Amino acid sequence: MKTKATPAIKLDSLAEVNDLGKPWRYEEDGLTVTRSSIWTPPGCHPVGCGLKLYVDKSGRLVRVEGDENHPVTQGRLCPRCIAMKDYVYNPSRVKRPLKRDPKDRGQADKWVECSWEEALDLIEKEYKRITGQYGRESMIIFVGTGREGGTLLPYATMSFCTPNFCYSQSGYACYTPRLAACAYITGIPYPELDYAAGLPGRYDDPQYEVPEVIMLWGKEPLPSNPDGFFGHAVTDLMKRGARLISVDPRVTWLSAHADYHLRLRPGTDTALGLAMIDTIIKEELYDKDFVEYWCYGFEALAERAATMPAERAAEICGIDANYIKAAARMYANAKPAGILWGLAVDQKKNGMQNGQVIVDLMAITGNIDRPGGQVVGDINSGLNEGGFGFDKGIGPELGAKMIGIKEYPGYCNLILNAQADLALVALETDKPYPVRMGMYTGNNLMACTSGEPRRWHDAILRSLEFCIGVDCFITPSIQASCDVFLPLATVVERDGCLFAEYGAAPLYFGACNKAIDPDGTKSDLQIAFELGKRLNPHMWEDYNDVYDFINDLRLGKKFTFDELHKEVTLQQDISYFKYERGDLRRDGGLGFNTPSGRIELYCGAYAQFGDDPLPYYEEPPFSPVSTPELMADYPFVLTTGARTYAFFHSEHRQIPYLRELNPDPIVEVNPDVALRLGIADGQWCEVYNMFGSAVLKAKITQAVDKNTIHAQHGWWFPELNPNDVEKDGPYHTFRSNINNLNPNGYQGKIGFGAPYKCMICNIKPVEKSYDTNMADVWAKFGKLV
Amino acid sequence: MTPTWQMSGRNSESWCSMTAYGLLIDYEYCTGCQVCEVTCKEEHEYPVGKWGIRVFEDGPWQIEEHRFNFNKIPVPTDLCDLCLARTSIGREPICVHHCLANVMNYGPVEELAKKLNNKSKQVLWVPQFKPYEARGPFVHDPAKGRRKAAHLEVTKNESAERMAAQRGDNRVEEI
Repeated sequence: MKTKATPAIKLDSLAEVNDLGKPWRYEEDGLTVTRSSIWTPPGCHPVGCGLKLYVDKSGRLVRVEGDENHPVTQGRLCPRCIAMKDYVYNPSRVKRPLKRDPKDRGQADKWVECSWEEALDLIEKEYKRITGQYGRESMIIFVGTGREGGTLLPYATMSFCTPNFCYSQSGYACYTPRLAACAYITGIPYPELDYAAGLPGRYDDPQYEVPEVIMLWGKEPLPSNPDGFFGHAVTDLMKRGARLISVDPRVTWLSAHADYHLRLRPGTDTALGLAMIDTIIKEELYDKDFVEYWCYGFEALAERAATMPAERAAEICGIDANYIKAAARMYANAKPAGILWGLAVDQKKNGMQNGQVIVDLMAITGNIDRPGGQVVGDINSGLNEGGFGFDKGIGPELGAKMIGIKEYPGYCNLILNAQADLALVALETDKPYPVRMGMYTGNNLMACTSGEPRRWHDAILRSLEFCIGVDCFITPSIQASCDVFLPLATVVERDGCLFAEYGAAPLYFGACNKAIDPDGTKSDLQIAFELGKRLNPHMWEDYNDVYDFINDLRLGKKFTFDELHKEVTLQQDISYFKYERGDLRRDGGLGFNTPSGRIELYCGAYAQFGDDPLPYYEEPPFSPVSTPELMADYPFVLTTGARTYAFFHSEHRQIPYLRELNPDPIVEVNPDVALRLGIADGQWCEVYNMFGSAVLKAKITQAVDKNTIHAQHGWWFPELNPNDVEKDGPYHTFRSNINNLNPNGYQGKIGFGAPYKCMICNIKPVEKSYDTNMADVWAKFGKLV
Repeated sequence: MTPTWQMSGRNSESWCSMTAYGLLIDYEYCTGCQVCEVTCKEEHEYPVGKWGIRVFEDGPWQIEEHRFNFNKIPVPTDLCDLCLARTSIGREPICVHHCLANVMNYGPVEELAKKLNNKSKQVLWVPQFKPYEARGPFVHDPAKGRRKAAHLEVTKNESAERMAAQRGDNRVEEI
């Protein structure tokens, strides 16, 4: 294990006058500069980008710059961290705890400032009252992505000791279905494209090979830095000769630069994957040795794939059969080749099978655990955090009450979360039991993650007697439904740790170093610690302060924060072909950590959880094929949620420099469709289906084809009315929320996957303009405090 | 203190003799992340609506089946001063520092021009901060327009009076 940071490689564009080799903290021109490897807030995936934070004598952050000492980002930075000051000192940020009478929910002027002591007293009183009456399972914690608290299981297992930690997106349609597919098929947490992140020499390291081909599957890594992957590693590799295959319904910059762009109908990915497997097997392009020695169930997979020849997939996906075959050949012939598989994989009912065909493609081509293919961790890598505190804080009896654990054990046991769709039902019906207390941490479900957000809104207001919001800003969800607000510290106001890609692949980890005073705000870890000490002190006896907790939870006591923070970023040790040495199995045996010891192309775990052990294609629940009768009313396939550089999900709308990049919610419409329907470029349109409607601003573009509409997600308008008004909701969030059109209850058989990227809809122009007044946004949020 | 636009001004006497600096951009790999736009605004405190560099997008439009044109090209504006405050102490402009795709290079135009020869899909910009101001205040050249008006007597023109009288309208007396 490395204990000293390796010097970063200088980019050619960096001047000779630079800060390479500077310590973690230094002085420059009267300013104190702190180097940090940051993760959230502002919300983002754990890439841990390197930042230099410049603080003046008065303690104010006056400048942010990318740190050229970071081994992966090398000084580069995206717009969202460039605008860090505008987030930290935003006039709409709230830095004091607030409370509000539950009868005044939704009314912005009814919040009353209070002390931390008062807020925690109130939480303690309500927690004791509610859990005393209904049991600890009556508390639900809504979590999300991109915030430390959003994945902080100890909030549930140690602070509140409730089994109902809940990511509130139908079918947990984000990342975890892919993790589940990997875990069940290979026993590996997540095979990431190998971009040499852990190697000291990076792309020129002698251990590394540049992939000949990168296949991007349902992923736009450049704006999203998905799950902690540094997106622009793809352009680094393109410059070094990597060629691309893109599987995406939309024309993106990457797909336009790909050798093959498989522009499929949204939601049909599994058919395409099966056809590629079939082509590779029939043409004997697979890695015969790897399949013979390290895979299980190849014949069964071959037989299954043969039911989906390219000619059949061509009809389903809307791509020429020869084009599919040619792309499959290119991927199979390339050595090494890596797949970057993304959110679109999860966002379909058929998502677990989509994940399955992708892992099978990686396996039969022998690209798993190979330099420049898919990089994987050994049995000792990864986080210490899975299930942290669960046995002691919750235990088997209370754990058995987790919402959905009987119906969806493959979901609930894997991620230790209440199943999202059934949690909504519980909030609506009190079945299987009443849920009366709630908390949002890293979650803004009414504006962002949840399908049918009004339904969630009504269920939460109906069900919860007391609700806590933890955030930097008053979000629409907090405005609508919370009774106490706890102000969260940003990443420049606290110490902490981050593991790239949550530690699911061996890359690097780093220290989030505090640069300025938190000014009354606290970190998620601090809040969890203080709440826990009050509510369930037996869980926190080992910890005297939050650093003890960080060292145990994040660093597994192998390391201390004190040792880490001066190094800022440490690359992890990477090795390859570990299955040949017994490093992937707990018992030390050769092969993989699965029941057969091999990669299970025929997957017993899928069967155990009630699904088919082999991949199969299933039409989306609403589509031109499965619901032809609806196509007269809703003739377009709706795909949602493509990422932007300006925002992380529902965050950043109050940052003028970022909002200016994307002032209004955009719906992409093909030029032919726009002509036919009389939609002008920039005209506001109503997008609607049988579940609901939203108004968005049309962008006429060939990025989508004539059958497809794409709409952005996560919209609310911090400059507009904060009150929960009937039609539009707080900050007008329901007006333009595309999730009004996305349902709950259409998850896959194991409980994972939901059709967020493959619904149907119609669109019509409206007369009214809802254009954002940027002068108003600038006037409200431009002057920092 | 000399305003930056004068120091980099093209109309200054020394323009031809001084080294011109520019931005070489490899737009084959520019992904359009817009970090150059935002970091420039932070660096110069340009408000909403003002920019030192902009990313223009050409596409996607279809060239033929399976092939689209989709290029992103950063263009410095009239508010780009090539980060004089940074470059004067030997650092690179802030857009170059943060460029996610690492496609921007700063340097003397002469050196960058040689690099232009190395690969296709590059563009070399030589920006001018506030080009109108850079021309300097208007100063009349005393060497020009020196001809003085001649001092000669002019007499009354009777033929012009006759021309008015010959007009056919009845308001001639008013002329």
